[in-house]
Amino acid sequence: MSPEYSAALRQKIDEVIARYPKKEAALLPVLHLVQGEVGCIREAEERFVAQFLGLKPIKVREVVTFYTMFLRRPIGRYHLQVCSNLSCTLLGAESLLDYLQEKLGIGVGETTADGRFTLSTVECLGACEQAPCLMVNFDYQGQLDREKIDGILEGLR
Amino acid sequence: MEEKVLTRLFGVEGITRLDVYRREGGYKAVEKALEKMKPAEVMEEVKKASLRGRGGAGFPAGVKWGFVPQNVPKPKYLCVNADEGEPGTFKDRYLMSHNPHQLLEGIIIASYAVGIHAAFIYIRGEYEAIAQRLEEAIAEASGNGYLGKNILGTEFDLDVVVHRGAGAYICGEETALLESLEGKRGHPRLKPPFPASIGLFQCPTVINNVETLSNVPSIIQNGADWFLKKGLPKDGGTRIFGVSGMVKKPGIYELPVGTNLRAIIFEYAGGMKDGKELKAVIPGGMSAPILKADEIDLPMDGDSVVDAGSMLGSAGIIVIDRETSILDVLKTVAKFYAHESCGQCTPCRIGTSWINKIVGRLAGGEGEKSDLDTIIHLASNIKGTTLCPLGDAAALPILSICQKFRRELEGYLPHA
Amino acid sequence: MPKIFIDGQALEVAAGLTVLRAAEEAGIQIPHFCYHPAFAPEGSCRMCLVEIEGLPKLELACSTLVKEGMKVQTTSPKVIEARKGVLEFLLAEHPLDCPICDKAGECKLQDYFEEYGLFQSRFNETKEKREKKFALGKTLILDRERCILCTRCVRFLNEISKTEEAGILSRGIHSEVGVFESELVDNNYSGNLAEICPVGAITDADFRFKTRAWFLEKKESICPRCSRGCNIYIDSHPGFPRVPRSRRVYRIRARKNPEVNSHWICDFGRYGYADLDQGRQEALVWKKEGRDTPLSWTKVLQILTEKIRYLILRRKVSRLGVIFHTNLTNEELFLAKRLFRMDLGVEKILLAEPPPGQADGFLLAADRTANRRGWKEIGLAVDAADLAGLAGLDLLLIFGHYLAASFSPADLKNCLDRVETKVLFASHKSSLDALVDFVVPVPVSAEKSGSLTNLDGRVQAFRPALDFCGDGVPEWKALLDLAKELKVDHKYYWPLDSPEAVSQALKKEIPFFQ
Repeated sequence: MSPEYSAALRQKIDEVIARYPKKEAALLPVLHLVQGEVGCIREAEERFVAQFLGLKPIKVREVVTFYTMFLRRPIGRYHLQVCSNLSCTLLGAESLLDYLQEKLGIGVGETTADGRFTLSTVECLGACEQAPCLMVNFDYQGQLDREKIDGILEGLR
Repeated sequence: MEEKVLTRLFGVEGITRLDVYRREGGYKAVEKALEKMKPAEVMEEVKKASLRGRGGAGFPAGVKWGFVPQNVPKPKYLCVNADEGEPGTFKDRYLMSHNPHQLLEGIIIASYAVGIHAAFIYIRGEYEAIAQRLEEAIAEASGNGYLGKNILGTEFDLDVVVHRGAGAYICGEETALLESLEGKRGHPRLKPPFPASIGLFQCPTVINNVETLSNVPSIIQNGADWFLKKGLPKDGGTRIFGVSGMVKKPGIYELPVGTNLRAIIFEYAGGMKDGKELKAVIPGGMSAPILKADEIDLPMDGDSVVDAGSMLGSAGIIVIDRETSILDVLKTVAKFYAHESCGQCTPCRIGTSWINKIVGRLAGGEGEKSDLDTIIHLASNIKGTTLCPLGDAAALPILSICQKFRRELEGYLPHA
Repeated sequence: MPKIFIDGQALEVAAGLTVLRAAEEAGIQIPHFCYHPAFAPEGSCRMCLVEIEGLPKLELACSTLVKEGMKVQTTSPKVIEARKGVLEFLLAEHPLDCPICDKAGECKLQDYFEEYGLFQSRFNETKEKREKKFALGKTLILDRERCILCTRCVRFLNEISKTEEAGILSRGIHSEVGVFESELVDNNYSGNLAEICPVGAITDADFRFKTRAWFLEKKESICPRCSRGCNIYIDSHPGFPRVPRSRRVYRIRARKNPEVNSHWICDFGRYGYADLDQGRQEALVWKKEGRDTPLSWTKVLQILTEKIRYLILRRKVSRLGVIFHTNLTNEELFLAKRLFRMDLGVEKILLAEPPPGQADGFLLAADRTANRRGWKEIGLAVDAADLAGLAGLDLLLIFGHYLAASFSPADLKNCLDRVETKVLFASHKSSLDALVDFVVPVPVSAEKSGSLTNLDGRVQAFRPALDFCGDGVPEWKALLDLAKELKVDHKYYWPLDSPEAVSQALKKEIPFFQ
């Protein structure tokens, strides 16, 4: 059974498409919108978007699998994305990542049993002056140390 | 330093709002350009100012604008490169979040100069809150007659659309950015043809970095000479240097083009953190070849840094201390490019991954004597042979690390 | 016409050419994987890098346009190094599959390694493990470990078949060719993908493991399965005399012809080669009193000649009927018109042919015969075969087995039982065999010389690509022999002794063929 997509979502998609001279150009923003509502882009979402934009579904999948922000499976409520690039590594990101794995009891790429947290590593977030950093969904958190991480996790219920 | 150009208004409360920005003198440059200058005059002024691109390539902005053919029956586009993926770089984030209207003003003037009526801000997907802020600024600007149809009552129309990326460093490369804007994978295109003639949707397109465009209002408002005097004769204005790594005061520092690198690190950014000693500096974002501690007496302008064997790039200065293993640095660098390679061309797709595998093995304690030579051999085969600059961006730093820190790297090989 | 230098050789080339094309025309091959003349340059394999004087980096030959005075080196040390570099990268992640890979012997990676590589591998890591037998669609198998991501397959499906079934998924070293689960490759041009794949990543299950490319003999021919007349290669196994083979033809490949089929053939033509070997008429027989008596063509000719002479003498030429089809060559149809219509005055000349199909909007035409245009230009007026018209004939010559496709065996039997003598000239067995008196095997067009006229009016000559193994004779010879035996217009027919000779006559007499 194919999932239902809300009228509000369809409306937003129409608005986004109208900003581009060609429908297909709206693919990335449309995928962001769909992922925002559904949580990820699976086959059903690929078909939905393909139909909306007049594309073959494989062309949608080409894009979904190219960009790291498009998720193909559902994840936890809070996506903890730890930067593993240079400035953050210089300032101890690796041990903080170990700490997170230990504290949450999951490895990189995994989700806690209660569905709250998914842990990933990412490349440079563009906040090197606050290294080491992570993103909680899209919220940047910098100048991390163990205490700060404890505080952040506490606040995420 | 005298009056700042880009960060002048950063401390003003509410400066992200149009009314405050205008109160502080904002949008006067737009008024001057649209009401008192012809598009060609605007372009000439920016050329005279020697404003070089601030994204990494350093190409003169006014000259680039001039490459767009004026008499084609196709629409022209401006793409603002706000992808800011170069590791060590965060200046555009500041510019957009702290003074979005300054950027918009630059976009409007640039579009006017070239005859562009549609501009896209390609902003990296992770900067979600900033994209939101830009949308708000655009709404404000439109509501106040600075965007949309008949701007300030003239014949000039302009619409600006914010377009979020989705996590791909390669989309900071201008032709990959165009592909991504067209709804495709971020695969760089062959050049020629250049975007100025065949760009977005096969139409003439200008692609400029956020910082580059943010400089335009003050160039128009204060004149090219004023801007030139702040920098160097062929490289006008200031640069926002981003300092990060093992320094006391990481952050952005707007300083004249040509400021000394040692001064930036030790005077402005407070010097080494926690009493550590300097080992190496990456001067222009991760794609810039590494400099040893004794190589940092260097004027930070495009030509001087090239002469020193590196590049100014995005002016992202990463400071590395003696206690950090250079192997960890190499590991991070190799991992990054392998992860970000788009996969289109043979040397980068396979070469970055191969090097990453070797470095991984080295870091895991299973290195072999030939490994360093192999890495150098592979990086040399990537250099200059790839479809886009990411190949060199991977190869040159890796080569510089392997060559300048060979002794230390050899120390990580298991001794027979 | 810009003058350029390639490897020191001065050349005048057409403006607007790429360095690679200009070199090709001068006989200098520049190695490449992703470039294909049917597509715009891709520039991703990096194999075609060459040195151009005055330029700091190596440049792509496939996309760089020639300029007046340009000096290109295709074998300088820098170029050799770069080529080795590309090969080294490709081979690092390429499986050592040559012993089990169908592409061996016609693989660009092998060929280029032999010519430009020959180095030891320095790859000490673990190769990427990928899917090796992905069912891409139709008869295609994708081996992702062998794939070098040249994207020719994706581009073909985007630009030529325009069916867009494939794409490139993931990024970097994990990039792979993929399709949507429920939308596999499924178009009438899928077979071209196995041809254009430069390595053994896409192979054809139809050919898989059946033979080695180097055992096959490639011969030029024209596809007879529709009126497009696509140019093809027939790859057959000449066979070692000691080893009997169940078939000769292993595959059909496209032969480039910019004016007819570009670089492509359709699947209908490509996979129809079983007809060349299967169900063929082999023995020339006289079906007398329920038995098949082998006979020679000379004997049949004698019998035929007698019967026809008798009808002529008795002024009963109206009791002679001939059935033709439009798969015959121009030369054969021309002879048919001359002999039967003009010289003998036969009225009952009928056409029985394969039913039309669907045109596919590209190469495959609705008309599933090879020479309707030729028949039209030769002007042999005929009626469609209709059984009622055949009743009461004394002698019926049936060329082709297509009558069996148009009528039921019962109706055919009913009709043919009322014809006194029936002679069948057919390449394949059919239900007609049991209903006629003489069966004369004839070759298929791949076994003949002649020419065919395609739907655009292009006359294409061809020579035999296979030997004719049957006991019979080609139709052109049957008609010439008949004419000579009947001694009609002796001066005209006597010098004609080959399809080429008939072709000369055809060109002289019908302006269209000049």
